[in-house]
Amino acid sequence: MRHVFWMAVFAGLTAVVFGVVAKGSDRQRLLYGLKVFGEFIFIALILGWILYFLPLR
Amino acid sequence: MVAKQITRTSPVDTPRSAWLIGIAAWAVPGLGHLLQRRWGRAVLLGGAVWGMFFTGLWMGGHLFRLSSSDQGIAALLQILPMIANAGAGLLYVFCWLTNSGFADHAQMVTYEYGNTFLLVAGLLNYLAMLDAFDIAAGRKQ
Repeated sequence: MRHVFWMAVFAGLTAVVFGVVAKGSDRQRLLYGLKVFGEFIFIALILGWILYFLPLR
Repeated sequence: MVAKQITRTSPVDTPRSAWLIGIAAWAVPGLGHLLQRRWGRAVLLGGAVWGMFFTGLWMGGHLFRLSSSDQGIAALLQILPMIANAGAGLLYVFCWLTNSGFADHAQMVTYEYGNTFLLVAGLLNYLAMLDAFDIAAGRKQ
């Protein structure tokens, strides 16, 4: 769980910056920030499950 | 024919204050927006970069720099992450002067996370710096 937490912290802080520097209205930038955050989490979970099934050990 | 159709555009003069704002934004994360009274942006951008930098240090991450012990390819491999770290501005300079944050803590579970946090903190501050510069130059609202 610690890894997921820190991944979420990383995604959140990065999404804040991406959302703030984006162009558009406040609402558009908020939605963009949320989208970036969601994409970080979604892709990390997908990659996590792919790596889980790979015989890396 | 095509060349005749292309109209010459006069270069837009960038005010000198925009460059100073850009330097301030690089030096202290959030300061570039603060000087332009963009309070919300300053708090969010500054908070994100400062938070990410100190979280990275707390997690055992280490900063990169060129040292005399690195030769050839090893030295080249230090340059890109060092540029990323240096984006944190005076935070990086302070750590460099006090020689703190450059030691490896590979035994810590969060060591790699810390490295990533430190690298990305610098890169995000480059973005914040460009945003502050664009606002000061009148290219962005």
